[in-house]
Amino acid sequence: MSMIRRILALDGVNVICHFRDDGYLLEGYGLMGRDDMVRLAQFAHDYRRMIQGNADQLAMFTGMRGWTPPHGWVVRGAVQSVCGVGNLVCIVEGADAPMNEILLELREISHW
Amino acid sequence: MATLDELMRLPAAMAAFEFRGSGELLDQRIAYPERINETTLDLLAHMCAANMSIATMQARGWEKVTAMKGFYPIQEFTLVGFDWSVVVSGFRREQLKNEDKTSLPPLMGVVLGNEKADYEAAFAVLEGQEPIP
Amino acid sequence: MSIVTDLLAKPGVVAAGEYAYRGDRFSYRGALTEEHARMASIMCRATTMGVNMEGKMLEVFQPRSGLQPPRGWVVHGADYTVCVMANVFCMLDNARASINDIVGFMRQTMANAPSDLI
Repeated sequence: MSMIRRILALDGVNVICHFRDDGYLLEGYGLMGRDDMVRLAQFAHDYRRMIQGNADQLAMFTGMRGWTPPHGWVVRGAVQSVCGVGNLVCIVEGADAPMNEILLELREISHW
Repeated sequence: MATLDELMRLPAAMAAFEFRGSGELLDQRIAYPERINETTLDLLAHMCAANMSIATMQARGWEKVTAMKGFYPIQEFTLVGFDWSVVVSGFRREQLKNEDKTSLPPLMGVVLGNEKADYEAAFAVLEGQEPIP
Repeated sequence: MSIVTDLLAKPGVVAAGEYAYRGDRFSYRGALTEEHARMASIMCRATTMGVNMEGKMLEVFQPRSGLQPPRGWVVHGADYTVCVMANVFCMLDNARASINDIVGFMRQTMANAPSDLI
């Protein structure tokens, strides 16, 4: 069984996808159709590059260390949130989802 | 301040719109409803708000680091697409901010066909310099 | 002549250059220091990545809109303007440059620039 499926066991996680460095969906699990997972993977890939670009600029303008390379990002909505770490992206539902645990788990699995 | 109708008089204007700094579409004029609709304009307005914010961050950082003034505040951001361009401006808004006005007008934008797009005229109208006859 | 040389010959062009989409290289000519040109190339690359992501999202939302794929973008300040088409950037002095000429020239010259490396 794929290791990324264990993320789905965490409260609130509805979808988890693993994508290649070019945004191609390698595997995805959860409550979402394949076509939407392909779009989610592409979005997460593009969004990661955009965040990376912004973090690079922040570091460049401020001279501060510690921002780059960014480990991940979270876009938090009222009901749904999207989290990306490395080549993984997941959709989390609910304001009380254990975000710390989800991010730690994503970070650990993204290193494998 | 430019009006949507003035913007629609620009060469190859396909749509003109007003939007909040946070991206919500407030008002619009559409010349070709079969090619661009209100829902697309709303997404476009959100996209343009994001680009204005990023360009503003870049101008701020650039001016601080290089001491080369003249970018901040951003007057217009233009996306040159494959066949169309979109030009958005917060010029009047920034002017009024400088005058300490608390009630600020919306940002404005215009979608133009690339072949006949006159970017300088679009900037001039958006900056309220010269109304199109 | 390269597009950068052509651009520099136009009135009001302060500097022009190219950056690699991969972010590992850049070249430029004009009135910028090497360090500032490096910063400009980082900023231009970041914005190009951003508008390409937005273009793809717009395409899902409204297929075959005339905006996708993006050719480039322009940031217009009070005194200076930055024009970027594909992986070429150009900084203009507003008082002397014609933005229409520069955008038209860059759009035409870069019309067939490949976008698969973005």
